[in-house]
Amino acid sequence: MSIGEKEVLHAARLAELAVDEADLPRLVAQLGSIVAYVEQLAELPADETAAPHRSGAAGAPLRDDTVRRGLPNGALEALTAEFRDGFFLVPVRGTMAGG
Amino acid sequence: MSTAREVAAATAAALERTGADGLNATLHWSRELLDREAAHADQVRRTGGTGSTLYGYAVAVKDNIVTTDQPTTCASRLLEGYVSPYNATVVDRLRAAGAMIACKTNLDEFAMGSSTEHSAFGRVKHPLDPDRVPGGSSGGSAALVAAGAVRAALGSETGGSVRQPASFCGVVGLKPSYGRVSRYGLVAFGSSLDAVAIFGATVDDAARVLNAISGHDPLDSTSVAAPPMGRPDAWEDLSGIRIGLPREYFPADLDPGVRAGVDRGIAALKELGAEVVDVSLPHTKYAVPAYYIVAPAEASSNLARYDGVRYGVRHDGEGDVRALYQATRGRGFGPEVRRRILVGTYALSAGYYDAYYLKAQQARALIAEDFRRVFDDGIDLLFTPTTPTPAFRAGDKTDDPVAMYLADIFVCPANLAGLPALSVPVGRSEGLPIGAQIIAPYFRDSRMLSVAALLERALEPAGEVR
Amino acid sequence: MSWETVIGLEIHVQLSTRSKMFCGCSTAFGDPPNTNVCPVCLGLPGALPVTNGRAIELATRAALMLGCAVHEVSIFARKNYFYPDLPKGYQISQFDRPLATNGQVEFDSAERGRVAVHIQRLHVEEDAGKSLHDRVPGRTAVDFNRSGVPLAEIVSGPDMRSPAEARAYLTVMRQLIMYSGASSCSMEEGSLRVDANLSVRRAGETRLGTKTEVKNMNSFANVERALEAERARQIALLEGGGTVQQVTLLFDAAAGTVHPTRAKEESHDYRYFPDPDLPPLVLAPDWIEQQRAALPETPAARRERLESSGLSPYHAGVITAEPVLADYYDRVINAGVPARTAANWITGDVMTAFNETGGFPVSASRLADLVGLEREGSVSLQAAKRIFAELRETDEPALDVAERLGLLQVREERALSEWIDEILAAHPTEVERFRAGESKLIGFFVGQVMKRSGGKADPKGIQPLLQAKLK
Ligand SMILES: [Mg+2]
Ligand SMILES: [Zn+2]
Repeated sequence: MSIGEKEVLHAARLAELAVDEADLPRLVAQLGSIVAYVEQLAELPADETAAPHRSGAAGAPLRDDTVRRGLPNGALEALTAEFRDGFFLVPVRGTMAGG
Repeated sequence: MSTAREVAAATAAALERTGADGLNATLHWSRELLDREAAHADQVRRTGGTGSTLYGYAVAVKDNIVTTDQPTTCASRLLEGYVSPYNATVVDRLRAAGAMIACKTNLDEFAMGSSTEHSAFGRVKHPLDPDRVPGGSSGGSAALVAAGAVRAALGSETGGSVRQPASFCGVVGLKPSYGRVSRYGLVAFGSSLDAVAIFGATVDDAARVLNAISGHDPLDSTSVAAPPMGRPDAWEDLSGIRIGLPREYFPADLDPGVRAGVDRGIAALKELGAEVVDVSLPHTKYAVPAYYIVAPAEASSNLARYDGVRYGVRHDGEGDVRALYQATRGRGFGPEVRRRILVGTYALSAGYYDAYYLKAQQARALIAEDFRRVFDDGIDLLFTPTTPTPAFRAGDKTDDPVAMYLADIFVCPANLAGLPALSVPVGRSEGLPIGAQIIAPYFRDSRMLSVAALLERALEPAGEVR
Repeated sequence: MSWETVIGLEIHVQLSTRSKMFCGCSTAFGDPPNTNVCPVCLGLPGALPVTNGRAIELATRAALMLGCAVHEVSIFARKNYFYPDLPKGYQISQFDRPLATNGQVEFDSAERGRVAVHIQRLHVEEDAGKSLHDRVPGRTAVDFNRSGVPLAEIVSGPDMRSPAEARAYLTVMRQLIMYSGASSCSMEEGSLRVDANLSVRRAGETRLGTKTEVKNMNSFANVERALEAERARQIALLEGGGTVQQVTLLFDAAAGTVHPTRAKEESHDYRYFPDPDLPPLVLAPDWIEQQRAALPETPAARRERLESSGLSPYHAGVITAEPVLADYYDRVINAGVPARTAANWITGDVMTAFNETGGFPVSASRLADLVGLEREGSVSLQAAKRIFAELRETDEPALDVAERLGLLQVREERALSEWIDEILAAHPTEVERFRAGESKLIGFFVGQVMKRSGGKADPKGIQPLLQAKLK
């Protein structure tokens, strides 16, 4: 597999990253060399049964259903560019597709 | 023992000096904050009883660990000026142990890099040679410990980002077992690999900090339900200890200075009575490729939250919310972060997931299995070079991402396997520090520290090896 | 040529926890915007999720109620997409290793009799925040109070064949989930949401047609209406020689029509992968069995039990529709009220009160006291209904209210006797006529005595006394 302009632009769209037209060729080349490098993983024989490796706690700990106070509105206002009447504001959705 | 106020004053003076030297290791600090930290430390000491194990320590903190009284920028334009409304668990624990937070340190943006050249706020210089890099991504923390400004510092590792700069700068770099130290408040890069890690001027400094910050945290689901790690036992010698030298970590083209430094370490280990044997970790060569899929894949998801909606520097773009996202992220992230987000997104996207993400998981499992096998075969610890070369020149690898990635070839396997690992100085080559790495079985951090402390003493003073 | 409709439903129910799925913020409905938020549910840098054990317990109970296999190991996965009300840029959900799979729900279909719907999966996930588009001109206002609220998503097989069947399935499903105690299933408060997939095919065709997804329905009736509209739209399209496009449609309840979302459709590529912040969810087999053992009676079993105790199918159905109603019924029965009397009260005045207040202002034991007064003749049925209305407003015992309102019936023979004597003395002609054989005049005498007593006399006590005196 190789990565070309089409793949880079597709990934950029999924990642919501603006990519400069002028940057594109260099980006394609750099990502191409990274992908070519990691391509050596293909040498590994397929093993469907291999369990992924994980470290840390073995199972998800479960917490009690206890309510804890969250952040005050004042703390939120300090974080954001646009906060009004308790709401975060953003431009309208335009042509966003929902999930 | 100096009082906290004296240490705070000395630290402020040292930070001013390193600032004047143009090290560019700090992103935020102030005398006023240091004074407040000292007052707090004194209060802990008065009321804390046994809790003040770090009294007299000023600890520098990498700027991807959140703090309420200083900004946390991750060296990114996108988070310029961001102040967290909560403290990382490790920050609370440092303070509870009587330590002072000295400053927030410079890093590769979002910890993505191996040279601290990818900071939006300028590169960090190597304390011994301004033309060279201190390593990365925790380069600011490494440089400050190396320059003597602080005795200990927090960094973070995803693929060796503390051990590699520790090696470059000639200080101790300690990555605990995954799950040993809480990640709550460490800004996520590759969550399954990320660990808060520690720089110390000595093994003892690093061990003291680990003692203070380790132990179960109910706010981190991956945190292991274990008590804080005690101080490591002081060992007399290494008789009965078997140390493995994985042959994949000693390639023919290994830098001769590095080779000489590690050989000096091996000689010292033998001198102390250890049995040193050759072993093999056959899947080592897949570590960097696996790492450069797993870490960017997780990063592409972890960094999705930086969308300009709730916090951070927003660029409105023209029009709708997608324009806002694309402008905020496109302008806010630097080139290396953008590259990794794109690689990670690509590796997870439909049609490529099996070939990249799943394949990398398979490699990761094989790498972890390699380690398990040698440890099960009676090897107590592994001993390797930390890096293939000493500190390289700034600009040498910035245009070649893969060459940069290969600087992590010996350090990233421990992150993939979740193992504790440490870099300890073993001498200098042409004036540049050389580090050797000790890797231990999972949760055997204490054993590793005991051996490192012995080795440190045996190798003093750290002289030229070649 | 006839058409067959194929419908599958995806429902999201809010699990009835006090705190959110992965943080301690309150799940309270209707609080001021962004007051139940914290670093975790706002997706602040460095914050990490910790799973709410109660949410897992409730989801497990719901899954068992639906006959699902609950898995000892399930995995939380990240579903990645950008949306202003999705704070982390991903939703923590479950993907290829859900909590539970392979259940079954049955209902009665008017067209096909007993129908079994396969439950493909039940998984646990977190909700997103809420975007308000009409709040500030030109801006979207975002409230993250809902962000992180625990949900169970329940996916059915494409097993329904008409909009009416979809509605019947939903009714049974809602009842089962409510019985399990997992959710209040209130569409008004957003604790139950329904998305529907619909396709049509020629009768006899075995392959599925292209399906569309219909959203934005705020009641079961509207689900049925929306699916009727979508079915008609697809059939008209195909009969006109067109093809169905795989799109998402929104139901416009006012117009009764469906229309495509304005958003440009993008091929969704959610890039699911296991959430590295959350180790696998591991449930002990013993614990799962404990949950199974603790499950309440199913609605069907309960309905049967009520019918066999003498209730009409109608009464049994109404009382078991909601578990709280059925529980109330059981308490009233346990307090000694006969089954049919209890059923009459509950499907009448109690139900009215329940619909108005969402609860039971008259406790089962107070209702039982009231019924006792009525049965022993201390109050009339009519008076009992007045007393019930009063009991809704006060904590007074039924007897006190009856006294206060002067509704207690007089049953002492002496008082009744005196009134009867008075009335008989005042109506000698009628007495004569009665004695001559006009026995239906008994009603007249009873009425007069009641009137004389100001309604307080117990009519059942009057009759035998009258009969004796008139002999
Ligand atoms: Mg869902
Ligand atoms: Zn929260």
